Amino acid sequence: MSTRHLMAVEFFKLRKRMMTWVVTLLTVGLIVLLYSVLWSISGRAGSFRDDQGFRIAYSELRRGLFLEAGVPFALQIVATFGTLLAIILAAGAAGSEYAWGTVRLMATASSGRLRLITARFIVVWCIIAGLTVLAVVIAMGYSAVITEYYGGATFDFMTAGWFKDQGLALGRTLFVMTPYIALAFAAAVVGRSTLAGVGAGLGVAFLEPLISGLMRIGGGRWEQVPNYLISANRNVVLIQNKLPRGLPTFGPSARDLQERGSNSVEEASVILALYIVAFLALAFVVYRRRDITSGTNA
Amino acid sequence: MAAGDEILRTEGLWKRYGRITAVADMHLQVFAGEVFSFLGPNGSGKSTTVGMLLGLIRPTAGRAIVFGSDMAMHPWPALRRIGAVIESPAFYPYLSGYDNLRVIAMALGDVPRARIDEMLELVGLRERGRDPYKNYSLGMKQRLGIASTLLRDPELIILDEPTNGLDPAGTREVRELIPRLAREGRSVFLCSHLLHEVQAVSDRVAIVKRGRLVAQGTVRDLLGAGQHLRLRADDNEALVRALGSVPFVAAAERVDGYVRAQVPAERAAELNRALVAQGVFVSELRPWDNDLESVFLELTGEELHA
Repeated sequence: MSTRHLMAVEFFKLRKRMMTWVVTLLTVGLIVLLYSVLWSISGRAGSFRDDQGFRIAYSELRRGLFLEAGVPFALQIVATFGTLLAIILAAGAAGSEYAWGTVRLMATASSGRLRLITARFIVVWCIIAGLTVLAVVIAMGYSAVITEYYGGATFDFMTAGWFKDQGLALGRTLFVMTPYIALAFAAAVVGRSTLAGVGAGLGVAFLEPLISGLMRIGGGRWEQVPNYLISANRNVVLIQNKLPRGLPTFGPSARDLQERGSNSVEEASVILALYIVAFLALAFVVYRRRDITSGTNA
Repeated sequence: MAAGDEILRTEGLWKRYGRITAVADMHLQVFAGEVFSFLGPNGSGKSTTVGMLLGLIRPTAGRAIVFGSDMAMHPWPALRRIGAVIESPAFYPYLSGYDNLRVIAMALGDVPRARIDEMLELVGLRERGRDPYKNYSLGMKQRLGIASTLLRDPELIILDEPTNGLDPAGTREVRELIPRLAREGRSVFLCSHLLHEVQAVSDRVAIVKRGRLVAQGTVRDLLGAGQHLRLRADDNEALVRALGSVPFVAAAERVDGYVRAQVPAERAAELNRALVAQGVFVSELRPWDNDLESVFLELTGEELHA
């Protein structure tokens, strides 16, 4: 039995699960809601200060909603809010097996625990990647409507270079989400519950930026610690997606990162990759070696 | 595997959780085509032993060998030949009974879809196969569990309390199913607290107490069939004394108004003559029908509960 075979099983289970569809609906709803709100605001006359302190005309915000900027903004939304949904999805996929007792069922029906958990993680990650692409498609659709409303959509910008940039942006977004997905997955396996995965994932997603902020305020030897944590490095990588001026970044600006003395993109990528490897290694080792004492059928 | 070949063996199996010993020095043997019953009170280490037999729990020491595979090292070839329901059934609650079996069939890889319907039919769930598992009664869950074990057409079936939650008709069906499975050439490893059922269907029995094996053998051996006689006389005290002087009587004791004598049943007439010669006349003399329950109580000193 190959890992690919087990991936089909995991995909079947997640496809039939309500949670997957709820997360899909929330992702679509989030994109539609944010675009609607921003479109509504962008109709105003005058200007506003953005989160970097620059004065931005509302018309400029409107342009940011046009088709050309649809991909980076959709990815920004996914990276910020979608990460939270991804954490829930990953923790649910790994943790529910313990609550239902099906961990034993799958462990004895499959051809190896390592293959099983590998298949499970790959499928969860692929579904999250699929949802990210769906979010981009929805955003592009909405952007096309907005662009058409204000005088007609053109596709001149869709050059090879544009496609390359969007592909890289998609890759960066999925990459910065993966440490959180891997953390939630590992915590659910180690804690043998969905709650452990959700708690660890959301806890780190929400608390780490706050604690990092306090460390920077504290200064001294604490000041550099955030550079080795997830959120600071996530921001460094994500800022490369080049969001148009005026659109909310939901995070620190490039200037903020520069002032903080953040890592280079390369350094940040290596640190995030190390987190991914560490979390997955923990999940795989624990799942493979630990006794399965709960659950029932084989 | 030919009938009578050894398919399962544990060699000095131990499992300790910290200072608690769940299983101690367990030596079991199961042969192809037999119904082997594994009996023990709650907390006696039955489920832990089964967990080790399935490679789910790593032994602290010793080995569990099933179909030639060391289950702690390389369980997968053997697991393909085993179907098991352990403790109580658990499936994906949001999936239907059919889809739950489909998940198992997909994971196993080589189970045709038609076999899913076949198994649902076998356990009487064909009509409710498309209903969500969460809406099933305990009896239906138990039957789906049995269907899942048979899905892979296993050579060894491990059933832990398979009649739990079943109504009398369902219990009877399972009781009839077990010897049928054995007749089809499968081996059955049965954990049950229903001793009279076990006695009726088992070829061999193992009894555990606090993680230790206290007896293992054929049901006939364990019951001591043909080795005890039941006697009664007006004066049972005098009867016991008289039996003590008969050379071929190994032991005699008073039990509930009777005297139990350890003596081969075929020597009953000879024994009667010896007692008459001593002036002791018995009003009753017949083989002592032991049952598994009394043997179990005698060996473990405990009642057996689910």
